[in-house]
Amino acid sequence: MKQITIIAVIAGFAALLPLAIGENPYFIGVLISVLMMAALSSAWNILGGYAGQYSFGHAAYFGAGAYTTMILISRFNINPLVSMVAGIIVACIIALITGSIVFRLRGHYFGLASIAVAEIVRLSALNFDFTGGAQGILLSDVSLWGLDLNSKLPFYYGMLLVLVITLGITLNLRTSKTGYYLQAIREDQDAAASLGINLSFYKNKALLISAALTSVLGSLYAVYIRFIDTTAVLDLRLSIEIILTAIIGGVGTLWGPVLGAVLLVPLAEMLRSNVIGDVLVKQGIVSANSGLGVFLKENLAHAHVLVYGIITVLCILYMPKGILGLFRRKK
Amino acid sequence: MFFLQSLLSGILTGGVYALAGIGMSLVFGVMNISNFAHGDLMMLGMYLAYFAFTLLHIDPYLSLLLIIPTAFLFGFILEKVFIHKIIDHPHQNQILLTIGLGLIMSNTALLAFTSDPKILTTSYSSSAVHILGGISLSVPLLLSFAITTVITGILFLFLSKTTTGLALWATSQNREAAQLMGINVAKMSAIAFGLGTALAATAGALIAPTYYIYPMAGHTFLLKAFTICVLGGLGSVVGAGIGGIIIGIVESMSSTYLSSDWKDVVVFIIFLAVLLLRPQGLLGKKGEQ
Repeated sequence: MKQITIIAVIAGFAALLPLAIGENPYFIGVLISVLMMAALSSAWNILGGYAGQYSFGHAAYFGAGAYTTMILISRFNINPLVSMVAGIIVACIIALITGSIVFRLRGHYFGLASIAVAEIVRLSALNFDFTGGAQGILLSDVSLWGLDLNSKLPFYYGMLLVLVITLGITLNLRTSKTGYYLQAIREDQDAAASLGINLSFYKNKALLISAALTSVLGSLYAVYIRFIDTTAVLDLRLSIEIILTAIIGGVGTLWGPVLGAVLLVPLAEMLRSNVIGDVLVKQGIVSANSGLGVFLKENLAHAHVLVYGIITVLCILYMPKGILGLFRRKK
Repeated sequence: MFFLQSLLSGILTGGVYALAGIGMSLVFGVMNISNFAHGDLMMLGMYLAYFAFTLLHIDPYLSLLLIIPTAFLFGFILEKVFIHKIIDHPHQNQILLTIGLGLIMSNTALLAFTSDPKILTTSYSSSAVHILGGISLSVPLLLSFAITTVITGILFLFLSKTTTGLALWATSQNREAAQLMGINVAKMSAIAFGLGTALAATAGALIAPTYYIYPMAGHTFLLKAFTICVLGGLGSVVGAGIGGIIIGIVESMSSTYLSSDWKDVVVFIIFLAVLLLRPQGLLGKKGEQ
């Protein structure tokens, strides 16, 4: 009850936020990225955090949604919502194939197999013609119910809606039978099996829910950006960013992935748009013409993955339960 | 003739893959860790060979005498500073830590050397030996296969004849029993990771003359090394050797008869097929899956 109220209050606040900041396209864009990563990471958390099955290939489901939607809209002019549902179906088929192969195994295997599946999907999208190959797919025009899809707002609210649904499902996992089963599997697979829990059924269920939500976000992203290629939606780096966001906030907690996204996405954005380099130069700390100044200007934009790497290492060594885990220990 | 040609070049390339696979399998066997930084360690080996050649004018194969000890030391230190802290952690944390270390290595290389691919051209880079009439074998590949064979031989002698080697073997068989027998397993882990790093860097240096050198090169090899380890049986050094050759042949065959765009897909499908049909791998022990 209490958590539901918190979700509702925060969602209400987020829904009013665009009115408050007056539709500044740049900020709305950053907020959309925050919401999307929060939702992606929360969806991953259902499988990784609650069932304890770390997927290192969630980009496959994101890409499945994005590619299916883009192909159906751009080639067959199919309604975006119908295309999105088709994306969910494709993502679920990939999830079922992955699940049926690896959920019989334990330990390292699921992680490794999830990467292999994601790579097969990525390389297929790169090599087939109907996926646009290395050029990707560009969408010139799209319409739905007379909504202004050139504005960012519909996507802001779309991402927010998926995030709220994902958090709702996560909250439900805490008190539902499925949720208890998943946590039992996470804590001790053998004990769970000996109590009669159908391991592969419940693992597959968590994977399907997670994959379906991820695919919806992929569809939203594709129509929002109107351009996709394998680097944007199927890269291993995306899968790793999703996990990292959850790890930093706190795996297996309701708010951890959201917190992780709120912290990491703006940080990455600042590095990418070189805000940090500009500030250092403007404050006179580094001269713009000195060797270091030029180096920062040219290279800091590439450094956000390096920063992600450093944060991952520090986080695993000193804070493996994430920020929310720190608070929990103090209690 | 096509068949024989692609079989032979597959075996030659497979030799280098085997080296990378053996390194990963050794780390897995002794430490029970999936090392996701393995590909990036290979990439470092490629750059080391490149700079030894361009700056110090040392032949890439001769530079192994420098690269092997450097990489061993680097791996030994990596284990002592980072990896040993998480050796009892859940395996997903180990994977994430090595992913993090890999990201740091590849992106530091990106900042330092830019993303422009570098090419290491030796005087014999494009020369080939012709045998049996129509089959041509590239000289760099032949040399690297010969070196791979020598290094693998030395490694086996080390593992089966020396005290440290036998201690490593024992730790890999059963960590707790090894500890009870008075083996310093913490030291064995550091040695295993050092050896794994040295093998990865060697494999990197060996392919440097026949491959583009760029910061993200490790990515492809990481997944290949995993496929090789799972195919051979996770933790089985001999299995990884055989697995490497098989993957080399599969790749070469699918390039010849399918298309080189799809060769990696074939490799990953084999990976999934192994997990489905024989998860313990060709030579792995049953019952731990």
